[in-house]
Amino acid sequence: MSTLALQHFLAVGAIMFAIGLIGFMTRRNLIVMFLCTELMFQAVAINLIAFSQYVGNLAGQAFVIFVLVIAAAEASLALGLVILLFRKRNTLDADAWRDLKG
Amino acid sequence: MVTAAAIILVLLVVHSAAGQDLSGTGPYFWIFSAVAIVSALRVITHPRPVYAALYFVLTVFASAGLFVLMYAEFMAAALVLIYAGAILVTYVFVIMLAASAQSGGEGPLSGLADCDAQSREPFTACCIGFALMGVLLYLIFDKAEGLTPSPMPVMPAAAMAGNDELIHGSTQAIGAYLFRDQLVSLELAGIILTVAMVGAIVIARRRVVGVDGAFEATSETINATMTPLSDDPSSIPVYGTTNPRQKAFPET
Repeated sequence: MSTLALQHFLAVGAIMFAIGLIGFMTRRNLIVMFLCTELMFQAVAINLIAFSQYVGNLAGQAFVIFVLVIAAAEASLALGLVILLFRKRNTLDADAWRDLKG
Repeated sequence: MVTAAAIILVLLVVHSAAGQDLSGTGPYFWIFSAVAIVSALRVITHPRPVYAALYFVLTVFASAGLFVLMYAEFMAAALVLIYAGAILVTYVFVIMLAASAQSGGEGPLSGLADCDAQSREPFTACCIGFALMGVLLYLIFDKAEGLTPSPMPVMPAAAMAGNDELIHGSTQAIGAYLFRDQLVSLELAGIILTVAMVGAIVIARRRVVGVDGAFEATSETINATMTPLSDDPSSIPVYGTTNPRQKAFPET
């Protein structure tokens, strides 16, 4: 088995980010769309830690901690909003809100 | 269940195959990345949201394994605790609370809502996504001559000082770095979490006009000023109603 390089971890992050992007565009369920954004967070976290390990300082790992904080705050607020939207239209379909302006 | 059993089996087989080369982390990298990517694919392709969330848990565990390979043990533990333990539980709760109206149908898609059964613009999305992936992989593998090829993963410099540090890993160094160099950012993160918690509570207590029309909304009730429930100074103000009974039980 060849030695692992930085590129391997970056490639995994890139593939996961693209998968999350595709899922965000194709899925119509609001909750699954937010799940796909969390997938993209994961990919970025892998990239950050790989670069942190490559450069040799801890800034990348500290940044991942803040990414986790923002992800937790975003998940709580977004899920509260999704519950509100669901109670308004009784569906989770993002296309039910097609009449939003702006 | 079958998937987890298969993964454990594959792990055992590869572990026994790699037994003669225990120092190499290569096989574990390929296993973890394969699990992460396959389960990420299942997250976006599984029609049932609960299963998608559970596959996302699998992705989180595989990512934590990748973090361990990169000597980021604390981040791996934090990822499992926060994502798989807290955020995904919230997601599963919300998915089960917000059960959509089901549509009839045959086959594996029966009992699913329409928004889960049919995707939106899959061809365009795949074109954009694979274009992005191609550009990123091209940049990573072909345009990265500026990066000197250093074998990954390398032990952190602090951990190479001695055996004592080797046991602790990089967790101690991260703690010192966070509380010495990033103190303001850390406090700001705490403030953001507090603000998000208060905001989520206020959002969740807002009364919503139901689809059954049980509560007729007028402009007065929608734009009603924020009124506290009672004289209790610690009570949370409620928007959107002027009826004190509905204020008392905003969710009923």
